[in-house]
Amino acid sequence: MSRHKPNAGAGELEAINRRRDVRRKTIPALAQAGPVSAWMVLFVTIPMLYIIYVSFMSRGVFGDVVYEFSLESYQTLLDSIYFKVIVKSLQVALFTTVACLLLGYPFAYYIARKPPEVASKLIMLIMIPFWTNSLMRLNSWLLLFQTSGPVNTFLQWAGITSGPITFIYTDPLVMLGLVTNMLPFAVLPLYSTIEKLQNSLLEASSDLGANPRQTFFRITLPLTFPGIFSAVILVFIPSLGIYTVSDMLGGGKVLYIGNIIKNQFGAIRNWPLGAALSVLLLVITGLLIFIYTRFAKLEDMEVV
Amino acid sequence: MKRFLALILALTMALALAACGGGNEPAAEPPSGETPAAETPTGEETASTELNIYMWQQYISDQVVSDFEEANNCTVNISYMSDNADAVTRLTSGGGDQYDLIMTCDAYMESLIAGGYVEELDLSRIPNSSNINPAYWSSPNHSIPYLGNYIYVVYNTETCPIEITCYNDLIDPALKGQITSIDGARNLFPMALVALGYDPNSENEEELAEAYEWLVKYNDNVVAYGNAEQNLTNGTASVAFTYDGNASWAFAETGGADSPLTVAPFTDDAVQLGFDMYVIPTGAKHTDLAYKFLDYICDPEVMAQNLEEFPYFCPNDAAVAAAPESYRNDPSKDFDYKENVFFQEDVGEALTIYNDYYQMLKVGE
Amino acid sequence: MAALSKTQRRKRRLGILGDVYAILIYTVLYIPVAVMMVFSFNDQKYNFYWNGFTTQWYGKLLENDALIGSLWYSLVIAVLATVISVVIGTLGALGLKRYEFRGKRFINSMLYVPIIVPEIVLAVALLIIFMNVGLSLGLGSILVGHCTFCIPYAVVTIKGRISGDGYELEEASMDLGANRIQTFLRVTLPSMVPGIMSAAFLSFTLSIDDVVMSNMLSGARNSTLPVLILSMNRTGVTPDVNALTTIMILVIVAAMLLSNGVKALLRRREKAAAR
Repeated sequence: MSRHKPNAGAGELEAINRRRDVRRKTIPALAQAGPVSAWMVLFVTIPMLYIIYVSFMSRGVFGDVVYEFSLESYQTLLDSIYFKVIVKSLQVALFTTVACLLLGYPFAYYIARKPPEVASKLIMLIMIPFWTNSLMRLNSWLLLFQTSGPVNTFLQWAGITSGPITFIYTDPLVMLGLVTNMLPFAVLPLYSTIEKLQNSLLEASSDLGANPRQTFFRITLPLTFPGIFSAVILVFIPSLGIYTVSDMLGGGKVLYIGNIIKNQFGAIRNWPLGAALSVLLLVITGLLIFIYTRFAKLEDMEVV
Repeated sequence: MKRFLALILALTMALALAACGGGNEPAAEPPSGETPAAETPTGEETASTELNIYMWQQYISDQVVSDFEEANNCTVNISYMSDNADAVTRLTSGGGDQYDLIMTCDAYMESLIAGGYVEELDLSRIPNSSNINPAYWSSPNHSIPYLGNYIYVVYNTETCPIEITCYNDLIDPALKGQITSIDGARNLFPMALVALGYDPNSENEEELAEAYEWLVKYNDNVVAYGNAEQNLTNGTASVAFTYDGNASWAFAETGGADSPLTVAPFTDDAVQLGFDMYVIPTGAKHTDLAYKFLDYICDPEVMAQNLEEFPYFCPNDAAVAAAPESYRNDPSKDFDYKENVFFQEDVGEALTIYNDYYQMLKVGE
Repeated sequence: MAALSKTQRRKRRLGILGDVYAILIYTVLYIPVAVMMVFSFNDQKYNFYWNGFTTQWYGKLLENDALIGSLWYSLVIAVLATVISVVIGTLGALGLKRYEFRGKRFINSMLYVPIIVPEIVLAVALLIIFMNVGLSLGLGSILVGHCTFCIPYAVVTIKGRISGDGYELEEASMDLGANRIQTFLRVTLPSMVPGIMSAAFLSFTLSIDDVVMSNMLSGARNSTLPVLILSMNRTGVTPDVNALTTIMILVIVAAMLLSNGVKALLRRREKAAAR
């Protein structure tokens, strides 16, 4: 974990070195890690501490927060309904992540193998659609697939179907929406690591008689593992809290954990419960990352 | 500790802004220190030159607003909410004093008043408020009702398999996948409660449990929550449980008076009528203009002009009388149970019961 | 000889397959944008279905100050949030990668919080804290909100990029007499450019499309474009929004092509001068 070398040298020299080290390293360390640390403490730690604090308070009759200690919110969480919601949300997030990885990896690989000038343009091409509003993009899918929309009209015109097919408000459309919304978050980190792969390594592998499949599974995949892990984090975790896609394309018939939290802070005005649910989400994600570290090497984890 | 926190935050904000060239926001108001909800506002007597309103998008005529700006030599800044809860969150978190007028609805009024988040109104400063029908004015000391919405049923006579005359028709299995519905616990449960013959604002857990069972059947028939006018006009759904304002557009898009759509001829069941009302948040800075605006919007001529563009239900009787023909002949207003209505009331503690059942409904058990 | 041509043929086949695959993905990504553009020419008050061709919305757009103002506001915020996030993120990625200090693990895990927690939670918490401290809402508060979720993405992306690099190059640079700042600007930074670019893209994308944070933290005077679009959810989106988004995307693409062109030109000049 730490970079300290075993203490073999003479003590005195070591001490001088260490002192010089401190001076040489403290200033740049402060300059580099300082701003980000300050920002995180001020705008993440403090607000989150407040949220944790609120989760132990209770709800007033009129939806205000009553500052009296109570475990009520956490007792509510024991209700099986929240378990079901979490499982459902996990399923969706898992599906989205796997789909984005499977679709995104070859795509990132394709881009990374292009010359850098071309690659940077291809990356830009991925991002451009995301500079339009996501609600507008989701609405486009509805317009396209609706009962009297272009796709249905075409299918009937071509004689493939006799009547309109209901595409909208179905699961496949929700999945399409999820994957198209999250794909860049998988492609970008994957591209970043694949691009770093040195061609010479792959050539050496094939020179030494490995077939492309062996090269891929023995060299490429392990070396791009950091990117894969970044992609998993960047896709899986936001997908856990996502709800706009299923609200719009799925017809709002299913609630996910994101909806429920939003409602607690909005229409229902039960902030303590909303806060407790957020804490639960934090714990689940923390747990997932912890499980990951049991199975994978810590060095890979460092990328995070 | 709080002071210290404030200092660091302020410093970082200042740095963040300075680092990026100052930004283009006019100088921020000096921090007012502690901002408890109950700061007494003394309407400054120097005439204000700006009025900040928080309300729904596409809900007031631009012309009406610009006429007011001209007459009072001021700027009206309107920002828009996307959910009634947005306004409540703003008010209860202490951000209400950024605005001079905020739009909210009946269901929240009681808690907003109890929490001291809204100013008590001095009606003598709003003489035109006498035009408002008291029957539609639930909290006259704190709010001015603006426009209202019926939540009723509209269906397509050509594609809907059955005729609908009451809420119970909506759980007919023949309507499977045919209904497009508005969402929200406080919109769905009252319908079920009325269908079952209970008080639409019931706080009784057993009644709510029954209502839940009713809604499970209803949920089976729903194809989508939201987008009612869109689903109705493009043929995705044949029945809509929606606002009259949205129905109005659906009628307009499907041929106006010749539209195959019809407002369901309900016989006995009451329908929900909700009002969007203006309140002055506690600590508002431009109350003089806020009062002027409230009086202005209650003026029959002004409101009539507004109704032409936004054909919602209006509690201002004089304005309705002055409104153009098109407003009074709107097919979405052509139903004869206008008086048989109920209002949404604050249900206090019972809201959590509503919410629990609502979640069960949507999670599927 | 035969074996070589076989692998070459294989490579070509894979190349074509790759092209087809990439085109397919791009198509799926661009379909919604195309539909959105097409419907900006829709002759209907609300975009429910196609009703005929018109260009009137582009004319009406010019009169709609609220819409144009909100786009401008969104762009200003996105650019500022990107710059702040990338600067802090680049430094932070280096610092967190290279130095051991007390609390490093803590900061590392804090970075994940904005990614993990639903945005609404952080937004409400920030709102309450700003209110308690007495800060007024506006550009500053939105900016803080956006940076708070952009910085973690920037750090993660950039850190992923520098994980393989060692100190060797930098040490060599210092040995050759460059000072720390020169080394940073000439050696460290260039090696991080792809990561920084990705981070900038991500930050800009996240900021320009953000609804939740902006909705909570915006002041009384201005709204961002996504907040305005969200607020149309009760009535439906009008085609002039499609028109605006179409123009916006065309302008951004044009700006990028222009900057690419200028860059290419400069590079050619540099080469010519070197010769």
